[in-house]
Amino acid sequence: MRSHEMFRVQDAPLRPLLVKQLWEIVSGRALWTMLLLVCPLIGYSFFQAMSLYGEASATAQQSQVLARTLSPLDGVLVPTLGASYLAVTLLFPFVAIRVLGQEKESGALRLLVQLPYRSATLVGAKLAAVLAAWTLANIPAFSMLVIWSMSGGHLSAPETWNLFFGHLLYGLLVGAIALFSASVSESAATAAIVTLAFTIGSWVLDFTVAGRPGLLEWIAALSLTQVLRTFEQGLLSVGLVLGTVAVLSGFAALATVWLPPGVPTRLKVMRSAVCICATAIVLGLASQIAVSIDVTEDRRNSFPVSDQRVLAKLGEPLVVTVHLAPEDPRYADLQRNVLAKLERVLPRMTVRLAGGNPSIVTYADDDFYGEVEYSYGSRTDISRSTSPREILPLLYGLANISPPALAPGSDYPGYPLIARRWFPLLWFFGGLPLLIIFAWWWSCRPSRSLALVSQGRSRHESR
Amino acid sequence: MVLNVDSLAKRYGEQAALADITFAVRASEIVGIIGPNGAGKTTLLEGLAGILPMDSGDIRWCGKPLPPSRRREAIFYVPDGVRPYRDQSVDRVLTFFADVYRRSVDEIVHTIESTGLAPALGKRVQSLSKGYHRRLMLALGLLTPHAMLVMDEPFDGFDLRQTRDIADVLRREAATGRTLALAIHQLADAERVCDRFILLADGRIRGAGTLNDLQVQTGLAEGSLEDIFLALT
Repeated sequence: MRSHEMFRVQDAPLRPLLVKQLWEIVSGRALWTMLLLVCPLIGYSFFQAMSLYGEASATAQQSQVLARTLSPLDGVLVPTLGASYLAVTLLFPFVAIRVLGQEKESGALRLLVQLPYRSATLVGAKLAAVLAAWTLANIPAFSMLVIWSMSGGHLSAPETWNLFFGHLLYGLLVGAIALFSASVSESAATAAIVTLAFTIGSWVLDFTVAGRPGLLEWIAALSLTQVLRTFEQGLLSVGLVLGTVAVLSGFAALATVWLPPGVPTRLKVMRSAVCICATAIVLGLASQIAVSIDVTEDRRNSFPVSDQRVLAKLGEPLVVTVHLAPEDPRYADLQRNVLAKLERVLPRMTVRLAGGNPSIVTYADDDFYGEVEYSYGSRTDISRSTSPREILPLLYGLANISPPALAPGSDYPGYPLIARRWFPLLWFFGGLPLLIIFAWWWSCRPSRSLALVSQGRSRHESR
Repeated sequence: MVLNVDSLAKRYGEQAALADITFAVRASEIVGIIGPNGAGKTTLLEGLAGILPMDSGDIRWCGKPLPPSRRREAIFYVPDGVRPYRDQSVDRVLTFFADVYRRSVDEIVHTIESTGLAPALGKRVQSLSKGYHRRLMLALGLLTPHAMLVMDEPFDGFDLRQTRDIADVLRREAATGRTLALAIHQLADAERVCDRFILLADGRIRGAGTLNDLQVQTGLAEGSLEDIFLALT
């Protein structure tokens, strides 16, 4: 006889839940369709990148200076993974929504929430399924790395891992938004609209308001695609990683709040407010962390090591006052070549735009326009240059310290390569799609995995 | 009494879906929640299972309060009209539930035998007929270890012979000590399987008890459940 003791919720094993989530991802059409679409996207981007890189390499064969400017990160990896970004932005939401949306639509959610798992465990398992889906969806991108290496192309492991890590964070962020959307929507179609509003909205923000001053600049910073920019520049920013993890955890927490159907809406709203506040606090703290690691082989985000060592000794605050409009190309040069690098080595540096955030029009009558003023301690100097070769000696002069001696032999050699381009086309437009179709067929075949099938049948037939 | 429901109520705007629902369930009995479509049966079952928030009311399990967040520790609800895990094969769905509740292969095979699911094991859920789908849902319910199983329209989709077979399965399950609450709109099916009845109409209980109790209550000494239901509603 059964007892009427209650079943203990904590006792359930996690493995069956994870296996079920993975099977749900693999047995649906969304992932395979996405993979088949990603193949030509990645393939064409890779082919284009290799062509342009090859043309530049042909020119670089006559000049070592030109060869030094050829980096596979900029020339091949970033443009090729741009196709992956496009797929994750536009197609991945449909894969991720399926992880929860189908259970809501079919009514299976009413079974799921009765299983002996906490809501957070259920959402965690679904996020693990999103991670698995992202990994599978990036098989074409991973295969691109293999082809590039086989073609004789150079890959710097830190650069490559960092870039893929950025794409992983972006994919998980989109996945967490999709889970949240699916948890608050009654249908997968509504969830897709909500998620695409985030991803495509970010895309639109990126090319409409990015680079504009003031409030628009702040709004542009909210774009999801900003997550990728830093990684594409070869920087591993601790604050950015923490902030992104905080936001995706926030969306996952919101999905956890809205998942159980038996909780009154008023209570869900209150819990959501707590989640949003906690996420905002962590995000605010993360934005204060300025620590970042330059993982590029050519150290494009840093001054030479000898200069870094000397600059790190500057103890007093440095104030830089810029008489340039933010949309002025010289400001972009100054920011990239000098200010961004200084900020990484001098945490006590302040950059001010003279007159707030003015435009070129408001600067029309400014006689000082184009000048950049550097104040260190009680000393001040002015320069119009955007090159570290002129700015660094100026700073050493202000700090009254000797410039470091030049370290020989540390130049980036550059990696020109003229590779054969027909193989990637064959792989991405023929071989890989065929393999994907085979894997799809394999996942669809009738299940014969269990001994219970034969046992059950034989007993049934013998009755 | 293993389950006590006291003054359960649920409103959707101006409409009262459930009002002042009070009843008790004994251990190992099969209780039929009987009513026409729209009577509030599903709302009541989902409220019992804790997957639909109620406006008011209390539920006690073995005399102790059972809040909605802990209902799944005592009660498992098998809903009607859901097609879960459509892209999965039947055996994979069964294995999932069995693994979650650490069921042995023997227990799975026994469940497959008792529900007659063997011919459908390798099929995808989406390709199952209505009858086999009901069998799958029943099998999932039987695989759970909960002391009380609540099922919405367990005989929907079965012919007469299949209904009798499934009624036998449920009786055997109750004989193991499990308590069953079944929402049924076919009165003949309910009369065949249930020990006691809760007659529901317009979100209110119109009568409760065994068939004999209800016959006495309505003064219909030879009345069928159908006669009694018509007399009370």
